[in-house]
Amino acid sequence: MREPDFNDLAARLLKSGITPYHAHRTVNELRDHYDDLVDAAVDDGASSKIARRRAATELGTMEDFVTQMAAHRELKTWAFRYPQLAVVVYPLACLAILPAMPVFAGIAHRTTLMRWGISLLGAALVTAMMMLVMQLSIILG
Amino acid sequence: MAQSNPPFMSGVPELLLLRLLHEQEMYGYELVRSIKQVTKEAISLGEGVIYPVLHSLERNGALKSRRKAVSGRTRVYYSLTKKGRDRLAKLRNDWSRIQGGVATALESGANA
Repeated sequence: MREPDFNDLAARLLKSGITPYHAHRTVNELRDHYDDLVDAAVDDGASSKIARRRAATELGTMEDFVTQMAAHRELKTWAFRYPQLAVVVYPLACLAILPAMPVFAGIAHRTTLMRWGISLLGAALVTAMMMLVMQLSIILG
Repeated sequence: MAQSNPPFMSGVPELLLLRLLHEQEMYGYELVRSIKQVTKEAISLGEGVIYPVLHSLERNGALKSRRKAVSGRTRVYYSLTKKGRDRLAKLRNDWSRIQGGVATALESGANA
């Protein structure tokens, strides 16, 4: 059996709807468990390569693990637990937030906006000064 | 070599985990080893099977967990809460009732 790919396992758990908290914590625990199994096999006299292979077999397949985790509904995000509700709530929440989005975007990019504002103000002042000079030159002739 | 667990084992991992954690706090690997040991390898849970059960029990408030650094590794130790002790008492009663019922049925079947 191949060595377990824990990064892939985390991605698959998240994809099956497990909350990020439980997905990452489980993967960390499982990784430690795997290391313990490897250590135990090495202590039994196995070579490092055989110990890792034996530990992977004892740990089981990642597919089985994802299935077992996904069977526990309480470990899933609310959108996976109540998909019908999520279909209604998400669009409504988006509609409610949409009018406020320019304000949120402005707050998020306030430094850029301030820079642009100051630049525009500077450009307007220079233009006004030039127009004033031109007007005065016409009047004073 | 431990025999494979039959399909009617559903719920047994939860009972065993609660029972073991009633004694002392433990982490995953330790729990799997303890289950093999206390059941004299009659029950052998898959190494990864216990984590979904542990997380589920914690989510339901029956267990609490804490991180503890041991030999350069951060272990997650689980222990029983008040709710977990109540759950254990209930499961234990259910188990005794079912076990008694099945034993009676088997005996009466044998005598028939």
